[in-house]
Amino acid sequence: MSSNEEAKAPALSDAKDLHKTSSTGETAIKFDHVTKTYNLYKNDRGRFLGIFNYKRKGVFLGSVNANDDLSFEIKKGEAVAFLGHNGAGKSTALKMITGVAHPTSGKIEVNGRVSALLELQAGFDMQLTGRENIGLRGQILGLSKQEIAEIEPEIIEFAELGLYIDQPMRSYSSGMKARLGFAFAVAIDPEILVVDEALSVGDKAFQRKCIDRIREIMMDENVTVLFVTHSSSTAQQFCSRGIVLDEGKKVFDGSIEDATVFYEENYA
Amino acid sequence: MLKTLGTILKDNWEWRGRIANLSLFELRKKSRGAVLSWAWFFIKPALYIFCFWFALEIGLRAGESTDGPPYILWLCAGLIPWFFMSDMINQGCDVLHRYSYLVNKVKFPISGISGIFTGATMIVQVFLQLALLVIYFACGQQLDIYLLQVPILLLLMFVFWDMFSIMLSQLSAISKDVANLMKAFGTPIFWLSGVIFNVNNIPIPWLHTLLQFNPVTFFVVAFRSAFYDKAWFWEDQGALLGFAVVFVLTLVVMLLVYKKFNEEVADVL
Repeated sequence: MSSNEEAKAPALSDAKDLHKTSSTGETAIKFDHVTKTYNLYKNDRGRFLGIFNYKRKGVFLGSVNANDDLSFEIKKGEAVAFLGHNGAGKSTALKMITGVAHPTSGKIEVNGRVSALLELQAGFDMQLTGRENIGLRGQILGLSKQEIAEIEPEIIEFAELGLYIDQPMRSYSSGMKARLGFAFAVAIDPEILVVDEALSVGDKAFQRKCIDRIREIMMDENVTVLFVTHSSSTAQQFCSRGIVLDEGKKVFDGSIEDATVFYEENYA
Repeated sequence: MLKTLGTILKDNWEWRGRIANLSLFELRKKSRGAVLSWAWFFIKPALYIFCFWFALEIGLRAGESTDGPPYILWLCAGLIPWFFMSDMINQGCDVLHRYSYLVNKVKFPISGISGIFTGATMIVQVFLQLALLVIYFACGQQLDIYLLQVPILLLLMFVFWDMFSIMLSQLSAISKDVANLMKAFGTPIFWLSGVIFNVNNIPIPWLHTLLQFNPVTFFVVAFRSAFYDKAWFWEDQGALLGFAVVFVLTLVVMLLVYKKFNEEVADVL
């Protein structure tokens, strides 16, 4: 593409337009009739008995389908927003994309390294320092020592932690923890970036920095971005396609403009 | 079931580098916040050994009648492997709560999480075994072929207790009862398994047979045969058979548990 060359240079605000046109035919994520069922029990004892298929009335409260026969396909390079109110099954779907949870039935296909901005502060060890936590997380994700050494200064600079980077994380403020989490997630050059309401980190200036960084990642046309939000305006800022979920079912799938209109009309 | 075994072996093999690194992190984490950091891994065992030696040899005069190597060597050869097994029984059965973020925040094989803890405990154990070797030479013993059993036994101990941890930690994630049960059993197992007495001296035959099915007894006796009795651990065929039965049983139960729960634990933690 000849337009690609000149598109690299311009302002980050063009990221969305650039991204939209560049999706290739390859599948990044595919959900094939995926259902995720949670069994709910009155207490832990009930859950334990449930192991043995013992479902007495009053102890077993019922099942909830967090995702119900959900099917969609996302191509490599697409930027997709998941819209839906609380409990619509967005986070469950994202958890299954990251490979943490498994579907009760149906099939999920994910191609590429996933970096998730889910619950940014989770997974840090409070006894270790910020720097050690970067190493720890890097190792969990399977980065080599050299790769970790390369991204470490980037992360430290982005998170604006200064001297605190060598202090135990228990002494960090909640904002500092979140900034470090965000900095790590965006530093590892993901192929699939999952953003779950993560942009409310830190002060206004830092938020702007985060948004810029996500835009920068999206400039790479091969990165697939999944965006989970309640707010239509942020979705429109980044994404070209919208999927609306309600009670675990897909109720709308189309361009972001139509999706936000549909969402506002029915759920807002 | 073979497929489940294949999955577990494959996961552990593919993630071996990360499991090993996280084991080191676990130790670093444990030693954090104390001036004597690393020394604490050894101070506690040393105190234990001293107390038992004092109570048994000085107080109860248990070691007096024996000829041959000093009593302290016999005691250490049993207590040191016990330290590993004690950690595995008390904490190893509940590793998923310990590393819950590896279960429900990042993708990590469930069976590998047990490997992290077993690995970390084993690193400490290897250093304690080296200390045991120093005691061995200090007691005037010679280097001989029976010591070759030690690495084999350490490997066997690693595999068996790793399986034990995979089996129980998933059940323990679903119900706290498992962890509480194992904590309650920790001390009784110590007193009943022959860590500080010689099981071969028990005059009741059925009790002797029963203890052959106790893995703790098996390892304690096996390490003593390497360091003290100068025998091969497989010579006692009753004990070997008993352990083999327990080993296979643990393997089968572990596979059944893993198959049923490995996808479910992330939902309940």
